[in-house]
Amino acid sequence: MTVMGMSLLDFARGPAINTAMAVFVLGVLWRLVSLLGLPRSVDRSRPKAGVPSAPMAALAGIWRHMGTPRGFGPMSMFQVFNGWIFHVGLAVIVFGFAQHMLFLKGLFGLSWPVLPTSVITLAAYVTLASLVAALVRRMTHPVLRLLSTGNDYVSWLVTVLPVVTGLLAVSHLGARYETLLALHILSIALLLVWFPFGKLMHAFLVFITRAETGMTYARRGVKT
Amino acid sequence: MPDTGQDRPTLGDSLAARGISRRSLLKYAGYLAGLMALPPMASRAMAEALAGAGRQSVIWLSFQECTGCVESLTRSFSPTIEDMIFNLISLDYSETLMAASGTAAEEARLAAMEANKGKFILVVDGSVSTRDDGIYSTNAGKTNLAVLKETAAEAAAVISVGTCAAFGGIPAARPNPTGAVPVSEIVTDKPVVNISGCPPIPDAIAGTIAYFITFGKLPELDHLNRPRAFFGDSIHDRCYRRPYYDKGLFAKSFDDEGARNGWCLYEVGCKGPVTYNACATLKWNGGVSFPIQSGHGCLGCSEPGFWDQGGFYKPLSASVMGNNAVLGGAAAAGLVAGAASVAMARRRRAAAMAAASKPGETK
Amino acid sequence: MAHDAGTGAALTGMVDSLMQEVARALTALAETGTRAAIDLRSLPLTPADRDQLAARLGRGEVAATLDVGGRTEVWETAYAGVWWQRHLGAGDHVAGETLEITPLPDILQSHADDIAAAALRLARDLHDTKETADA
Repeated sequence: MTVMGMSLLDFARGPAINTAMAVFVLGVLWRLVSLLGLPRSVDRSRPKAGVPSAPMAALAGIWRHMGTPRGFGPMSMFQVFNGWIFHVGLAVIVFGFAQHMLFLKGLFGLSWPVLPTSVITLAAYVTLASLVAALVRRMTHPVLRLLSTGNDYVSWLVTVLPVVTGLLAVSHLGARYETLLALHILSIALLLVWFPFGKLMHAFLVFITRAETGMTYARRGVKT
Repeated sequence: MPDTGQDRPTLGDSLAARGISRRSLLKYAGYLAGLMALPPMASRAMAEALAGAGRQSVIWLSFQECTGCVESLTRSFSPTIEDMIFNLISLDYSETLMAASGTAAEEARLAAMEANKGKFILVVDGSVSTRDDGIYSTNAGKTNLAVLKETAAEAAAVISVGTCAAFGGIPAARPNPTGAVPVSEIVTDKPVVNISGCPPIPDAIAGTIAYFITFGKLPELDHLNRPRAFFGDSIHDRCYRRPYYDKGLFAKSFDDEGARNGWCLYEVGCKGPVTYNACATLKWNGGVSFPIQSGHGCLGCSEPGFWDQGGFYKPLSASVMGNNAVLGGAAAAGLVAGAASVAMARRRRAAAMAAASKPGETK
Repeated sequence: MAHDAGTGAALTGMVDSLMQEVARALTALAETGTRAAIDLRSLPLTPADRDQLAARLGRGEVAATLDVGGRTEVWETAYAGVWWQRHLGAGDHVAGETLEITPLPDILQSHADDIAAAALRLARDLHDTKETADA
């Protein structure tokens, strides 16, 4: 398979991934700088007596959102638990697979021990199932469905595509390995391009918002 | 000896005349059937077909090449079944192997072309120079380009032997000063089979020619026109070190513990996963070994553009042609865009506050 | 090569199914005279599998070594009609290996063309000898 005289694989790991990485860096910095540089209003209210310091409040906010508050129903529990599964799964795949470590080593020069392919494959299947469960819940839960926009579905798709194409590439299913590898890299390129402009940006923003929420609530004396 | 009534003696006749028994032919057919993954019961019929065929005329042209491909095919320690191919063909022209030289050699080529018009197999090793009408590689006062066009016009089929003839190879590597192209870019009106490799496995060259003689047609080819029988599986799929890859056990350098234990060579640049060839099964030097077994990763020599793939010792997955200048530029652009939107937001807020305050009063 | 660990030692269980196939082919040979052949090199047999197959088929009454473009070894297994045929190529590595289910492997028979050629040669040799003797 050829694109503009080069093989699909050459295209994927040449122009495609390079352009995507450039868009990713540009987009992430743009959004981070413009968000963090926004003028902030000074809170002139007096904080409640005996509240923790701002950094402690920030940490508490981050910690509190890691789980589900008591009193929430089983479906909320499922949502948080399922979220943990695919986030940890994705981390295992991205950092535990030898080929991915080598890719990152090529970019940043760091290397670390890796896991056997069988463990990674299992993690990938679990992650895939978890992502599908998340989508099913999003599409069936009446409130969640109302809240969902195209952004959510696109973000889901660009996350699931690398997992699917990666599994196909490892098991040589559907096409020749180099074609599958090229599709896998292209799916990463798609993820990188979408990342700064869609909800995947939460990877950078999630702890900022949770810290901010924690500090605001603490100042007002909200107890957990 | 049975009279076949043909002009040319049959292979059976010419073999008998040299004291080569029909058993040899049967053994060769069995060997060939095994090589090409044909049903084993076909070998008897193949032996009969071979015995009845005429010796196949072959014209071998060498262009921008290193003679490694000819060496690969003719290397031999003792008369063996693999050498049988030389009894099946009549090598009517080969600059490397023929005794004749000069004008006599060129006449031999034209005579063979005339005598076997439309029937001979043209084997080419080496790529074809095209820049400035191909004057960078000439022979007997003619450019390779002209000789290829002239000879291929009369051939039954063309076999590009080696990566240079098949895909351009090293002469076509950047910056390709001679404008080297593969044979298939010049010969477009005939079947061109690619037996790639640097050099190709001799059994793949001989097997393809023998298949053509036996069945009168070319074997099944892949998307790069390589015979599937030899190029159907990747080196990685057939590698005896594959279990280590699956377990995530990799040699990190050529002299570490992993290398001594025979672990997978992926991290030191093995291109086995994207390279299609039969090295891992047929092996080299009479089945003695192949590069990975000798401790070195696969270079990917049977794939197009193998010379320009970013480094033999770079892991396959790390072969991203990263561009720091582009990334740095993107980072700078991102910072500028962010700063600009901050400035805009601050200016808008200042304007809004000014409008909300009494005229003349500023914050 | 010493580093075949992980690929060479284990039994895959392929021999069981292979023996079933041999049994079917041998029954067919006995009942209808249909000959068959199984290409051993096309099967992913480990060295351990190969040893197991050789042990289960055993050795019969006939064994022959041929000098035909390199060495060829043919022997009848303990089951009459099941022959093991091994062609050796350069450096004595195995160039072809089959199980032949047949009354007699083709390669052991003299081909009609070879017989005709030999008859001519023998007649000529006798003629030459006579001429030499007469001279």
